[in-house]
Amino acid sequence: MSEATLIKDAVCSFCGCLCDDIDVEVEGGKVQRVKHACRLGSSKIMGHGRIESPMIRKEGVLVACSFQEAYDRAAQILLMANKPLMYGWASTSCEAGKKGILLAEEVGAVFDTTATVCHGPSVIGIEEKGLPGATLGQVKNRADTIVFWGCNPAEAHPRHSLRYSSNACGRFTPQGRKGRKIIVVDVRETRTAKNADKFISITPGCDYEVISALRMLVAGKGDNVPEEVGGVSKADLADLAATLKAAKFGAVFFGLGITHSRGRYKNIDNALSLVAELNQHSKFVIMPMRGHYNVGGIGQVLAWSSGYPMSVDFARGMPYFNPGETAACDLLARGDTDAAMVIAADAVSNFPRTTAQALAKIPVIQIDPYENPTTLLSEVVIPCAIAGVEAEGTAYRMDGLALRLRKMVDSGFPSDEEILIGILESVQKQRLLKANEEA
Amino acid sequence: MRTITITPREEFRISVEAENISSDKFASLNIEQIKSLAVWQGNRQKALSDLFAIEGDDAPATAEEITIRLLGDFSSVKRIAEGMTAGLVEVQGSVGMHAGNNMKGGLLSITGDADDWLAREMRGGKVVVMGDAGNYVGSGYRGEKCGMRGGEIEIKGSAGAYVGEHLCGGSISIGGNAGDFPGAANQGGTIFIGGSTYLPGAEMSKGAITVKGEAKVLPSFQKMEIVQIDGVDFQKYAGDLVDNGKGELLVGVGSS
Amino acid sequence: MIIKGGIVYDPANGIYGEEMDLFVDQGRMAEQAKGEEIDARGLLVMPGGVDAHSHIAGKKVNTGRIMRPDDSRQGTQSRTSVCRPSTGYTVPNCYAMGYRYARMGYTTAFEAATPILEARHTHEELAEIPIIDKGALTLFGSNWQVMECVRDKDLSKLAAYVAWGLRAARGYGVKIVNPGGGEAWGFGGNVKGINDTVPGFDVTPAEIIRGLAKANEMLHLPHSIHLHFNNLGKPGNYTTAIETLDLLRDIKPSRMRQIVHVTHMQFSAYGGTSWRDFESKAPVIADYFNNHNHATMDMGQLLFGSATTMTADAPLEYGNARLTHNKWSNHDIELEESSGVVPMTYFRKMLVNAVQWAIGLELALLVKDPWKILMTTDSPNGSPFVNYPEVITLLMSKPKRDAEMATLHEQVPKRTTLAGIERELDWTDIAIMTRAAPARILGLQDKGHLGTGADGDVTVYNLRPEEVDASQDHALVKKALANALYTIKGGVVVSKEGQILATPPGRTFWVDAAVPPADADRLMLDLEDKFAKYYSIQLSNYAVQDAYLPHAKAIRAGLPVEPLPEVA
Repeated sequence: MSEATLIKDAVCSFCGCLCDDIDVEVEGGKVQRVKHACRLGSSKIMGHGRIESPMIRKEGVLVACSFQEAYDRAAQILLMANKPLMYGWASTSCEAGKKGILLAEEVGAVFDTTATVCHGPSVIGIEEKGLPGATLGQVKNRADTIVFWGCNPAEAHPRHSLRYSSNACGRFTPQGRKGRKIIVVDVRETRTAKNADKFISITPGCDYEVISALRMLVAGKGDNVPEEVGGVSKADLADLAATLKAAKFGAVFFGLGITHSRGRYKNIDNALSLVAELNQHSKFVIMPMRGHYNVGGIGQVLAWSSGYPMSVDFARGMPYFNPGETAACDLLARGDTDAAMVIAADAVSNFPRTTAQALAKIPVIQIDPYENPTTLLSEVVIPCAIAGVEAEGTAYRMDGLALRLRKMVDSGFPSDEEILIGILESVQKQRLLKANEEA
Repeated sequence: MRTITITPREEFRISVEAENISSDKFASLNIEQIKSLAVWQGNRQKALSDLFAIEGDDAPATAEEITIRLLGDFSSVKRIAEGMTAGLVEVQGSVGMHAGNNMKGGLLSITGDADDWLAREMRGGKVVVMGDAGNYVGSGYRGEKCGMRGGEIEIKGSAGAYVGEHLCGGSISIGGNAGDFPGAANQGGTIFIGGSTYLPGAEMSKGAITVKGEAKVLPSFQKMEIVQIDGVDFQKYAGDLVDNGKGELLVGVGSS
Repeated sequence: MIIKGGIVYDPANGIYGEEMDLFVDQGRMAEQAKGEEIDARGLLVMPGGVDAHSHIAGKKVNTGRIMRPDDSRQGTQSRTSVCRPSTGYTVPNCYAMGYRYARMGYTTAFEAATPILEARHTHEELAEIPIIDKGALTLFGSNWQVMECVRDKDLSKLAAYVAWGLRAARGYGVKIVNPGGGEAWGFGGNVKGINDTVPGFDVTPAEIIRGLAKANEMLHLPHSIHLHFNNLGKPGNYTTAIETLDLLRDIKPSRMRQIVHVTHMQFSAYGGTSWRDFESKAPVIADYFNNHNHATMDMGQLLFGSATTMTADAPLEYGNARLTHNKWSNHDIELEESSGVVPMTYFRKMLVNAVQWAIGLELALLVKDPWKILMTTDSPNGSPFVNYPEVITLLMSKPKRDAEMATLHEQVPKRTTLAGIERELDWTDIAIMTRAAPARILGLQDKGHLGTGADGDVTVYNLRPEEVDASQDHALVKKALANALYTIKGGVVVSKEGQILATPPGRTFWVDAAVPPADADRLMLDLEDKFAKYYSIQLSNYAVQDAYLPHAKAIRAGLPVEPLPEVA
């Protein structure tokens, strides 16, 4: 591996954009240069501080151990638990997710993803109304009107606008940004808003009402709409409705600003109806701006395996789905779980504080390449190869498109998939041993 | 009348799923058989008597003739009286999620509070809660078009968000306040809220919602006339017009 | 393995209910074999069922699952020592797909529609479906490259693209859905007939269909083009059907098979000018098929109750959603297709639904040659595939049909001819429509029959064909068909009396068609341009990698390799 090699068209495993035009220079078994990626992606691919060894907590201190010891201890924790939680999955491959689901079935766990703290409400909205969407290339080639609602791709998805949306050029959009109207709806003037043609500032928590007013205006029932809704004047709303109706191809991208403000999934539910109704007048699509690069993929895998895309409770041997009851935050907030595996996510940083504190009360198994606040309260820590850099596999872009992640460099660490197989085998072995003892 | 009393043996750290605690399930069984009915605690299947002390009349009786008395803390026990068609389940304390799911008849009475999804997809019968109720009282399951279709729910205290979501029939009465979005997508049920609420009747197509206290009303409702009920003035609205709804929303005027 | 004493229906080999022993050796039908003995004395024995058109995997199916937790909670079954958990009714999880087909005696099912760009997803799901063999048809009908080749009348480049697309998608055949309509839907429009111009591309659906049919035959593909007509699902659309079929009469098949397979014909056999005067034109369609030999069809039978409609015909789905005020998912695929998913419930008392129900049956009963019509429900569009036993018993029993008719909207006898049709299909007809014909139509040489060398896929039903009267005892027949006594896949008993005993992984068939290198080179210039300018991913990341087909079975076709041996 000492000779420099160039990997072309690698897939960036940072955010839901899954940019697949990344060139990576590898020399001496290390990534030396990353081209085309944004700052966030580049930093991910270049790598940083790693957990060096598997560890088990002994007398309050994490002590290095072998992988097998870590697998056995993890399996023991899962087997002992009456209601283990297996959470995360957004920053690893679908292949790891598949093994994780199998393990969850085997030990009767609740399987949940980071969607529960990001686009979970979007999923529930979709269950109410369906999702009128498209691949990102469709937006690139056709969209003349784009709305960013409660999201800020300029900061969170830096290459989105150039590759797929505002600035992308395509068959019917040769002028790129010049030929498009960009509208941002948000509670504050973000960087994305500053670059827009129109920024509509709404009062926090008023998304639902604003969307209802827009639906009325789009349907020609504006007479009923009051002079001001959610901090926006009726004139501005009427103007926006007219712009949306006049689009040749419109796209709405939405983010946590709308999924996690007051109204939550109802906001999405209403936005989906707005888009469905806009299709009476123009062509319109809508899609969530997914954050972690494979949070969409684990949802797909879970759906085809269990019927549901998140928050699946396998405790009784058959999948049961009811976010509000079976989501990671619900269980932790109620103290209704007695062990947790956190994989490819930093639960402690992502969860609300009280929820994160509940993790401190139960044994936690962490599988992650990096040390993070979850490590501090873990009972077992298992370092893994970085999916998409050190291990290949599948990830789904924010529009649901599957791409194959490359392996760029070798790693001394097992992949998430291999670790999960190790734990699964240990579970089966320990169960057999116990059965033999009882017999 | 056959009475059976059930008391938890311990405080449940992990919630218990006990859909077998219902008059229909008990009807044809003697006490020993009732004791061996299955319950789940997490991924462990147990006998009812592993977790609860059970006593009462031994002789089987019809569901109608059964009274189940739950004494103690059932706030982590889910699905009590699920699918019940007749008889009485009397809880002297609070209940966990999904009490009275899919109830078709009989009476479920709770002296304490009820957790989320009380009487989800209820078809008939009556549920009375003396304390407060959580979110999704009388609502539907995720993705279903219809929630509660019939029966009566009475909450003396307050309720959480999404009361009667996708309501298709029956009536819900909340003595105190209700959380956000009561009666969303109401298709023909009745909701009464004694206190205040926020954005009632979103996307309702039929049915009626009355809010005695204050309510923020959606811009897609049309303001109608003032009506008087029992000497109290209510502002009447029609909606939700986003879906050309023909629902009726009444909000108290200056009652506070 | 020896399957002893069954009453065997193997119409592809001229066997129509003969008592005989069958032998399976190393996964294939053999002249002699040793080992496990299956007692099938007096029982109905057929090859494993083959479903040529079913939506079993990919983005559309998963979208159905994600938007329908209400459906996923139906049919839930726990994990066992053999099985993963099952969920869903119209959109089952992957495991239930495999188990439920196997229980009914089916051992092969083909996914009906996959855009090339999203084929990776389809194969991820196909690989997860246990037991059955499968394949996926690839969508070409609104593809920019296809339309440009057709516009430029460059057939050899079109053939090169079809071959390239099948390889990129690891696809089995050429699927065409509402040709041109998927592109028009990109700006919210549709094409209204086969001679309507596709906006921005200067081609018509008629030209696309003819072009692809010719390319299909240039490549000697095992299957013909597989066509979902324009105007599907609309009153009066039978004229579009006949017009389209007439387009293809002069094309010479490269193999002994049809030139076009028309899918879910029921949805395209409609008369009337609106839903108000909606009526069946099944007799006209059946007549056409009786008098022509270039086309085959599958029923697309509709049954009452819950369904989930899913199709690349996106404008149709938008219409469905507006009409029924239901949830609506749409998914446009850059440069290639569009698609939609809408849940649906069909009602007995709703005249339109009741007429649709009758049309499917009329088609199957009025087409004289069972080799021309397959039994399908366009699962889960007309009904989920678990209801095949219901369809089969309706076809076999006039009394059952009459009893059903009595529960329907009273106008059905006036709007359809079903009440007057006496024909009852027999076990030979059924064996053809569910086994022999789908295998022949797809060009699967080792499927749908029990000749030596065929796949060792055999179904034994707990029915005595020489004793049971399917016309009268339809309830008994339906029960027996729902859970085969034995389903044998590749010589392994996978299901016994409804219980899954083994879950071997199935294979995935795909077609690798060779084309002259010069054509491929010319094509690549076009593709490089398209990926540089229009696609949102790189050309090098486009094709499905081998990792996604752990049990691949490639079938070679095309030029200059020798043409495939012709199917008998």
